[in-house]
Amino acid sequence: MSPLSGISPNLPGALPRVDLMSPEVTPLSAASELGKSPDVTSAQPAGGDSFATMLGQMVSDINAQQVNATQTVNALQSGQKVPLHQAVIAMEEANVSFQLMVEVRNRLLESYQEIMRMQI
Amino acid sequence: MIQILAGIQNTTAALQAEQTRLNVISENIANANTAHGVDGKPYQRQVVVFATALQQAMNADGSTATPALKVASIEKDTRDPVQIYDPGNPDADARGMISMPNINIHEEMADLISASRTFEANLAVVKNSRSMAMQTLAIGKH
Repeated sequence: MSPLSGISPNLPGALPRVDLMSPEVTPLSAASELGKSPDVTSAQPAGGDSFATMLGQMVSDINAQQVNATQTVNALQSGQKVPLHQAVIAMEEANVSFQLMVEVRNRLLESYQEIMRMQI
Repeated sequence: MIQILAGIQNTTAALQAEQTRLNVISENIANANTAHGVDGKPYQRQVVVFATALQQAMNADGSTATPALKVASIEKDTRDPVQIYDPGNPDADARGMISMPNINIHEEMADLISASRTFEANLAVVKNSRSMAMQTLAIGKH
């Protein structure tokens, strides 16, 4: 596992664990690597998914959930046999996973800004 | 696909099953006075039979399976039709009795309340798991 992969690529079905507090994956190391190289993928050691890849995967997963929610609502409104609760739950899932993505972005940005404020 | 709300699949299955039950109850209430069913006999009361279904989790290995609720079948209530005295009715026999559906409207109303409360309980599970997820996302905020 690469040092930046706080989020495991194979999520076992629970909330992904963003392990920013563990000693080997500090927010500082994550942000400094992101800050010093614009091409994050090339900064990764060989073997294992890069953090950027995983972030991209997460974004596309969440997009798929949004699309699923939209399709369910469309199906409901066009009179197909979709129960109401299924549409609402799909929307709710999409909402919560979007919040998760926003939260990950917020914390990454926070650590990056912490680095930028550092006095040398 | 990430699964972000805990236990949501089981709850969805249960909501689906309860909705089927509500449909069947509404059918029973609507046909409480139907003396001529599709087969010419009085309408027979229907009951929903629930069963546990093993639902494959979305994990790729397929190792974990969680039990979920499903509607196994919709059966007919085998109680005899109710005989009422109504000599003016064209369906009345020589003694003036006609057969009416074996539906007791009070029983149906009690079932209706039970089904709607169960539905409500499952909705509470959804609400709870949503608020758990949102509270988890707020870890570390002040």
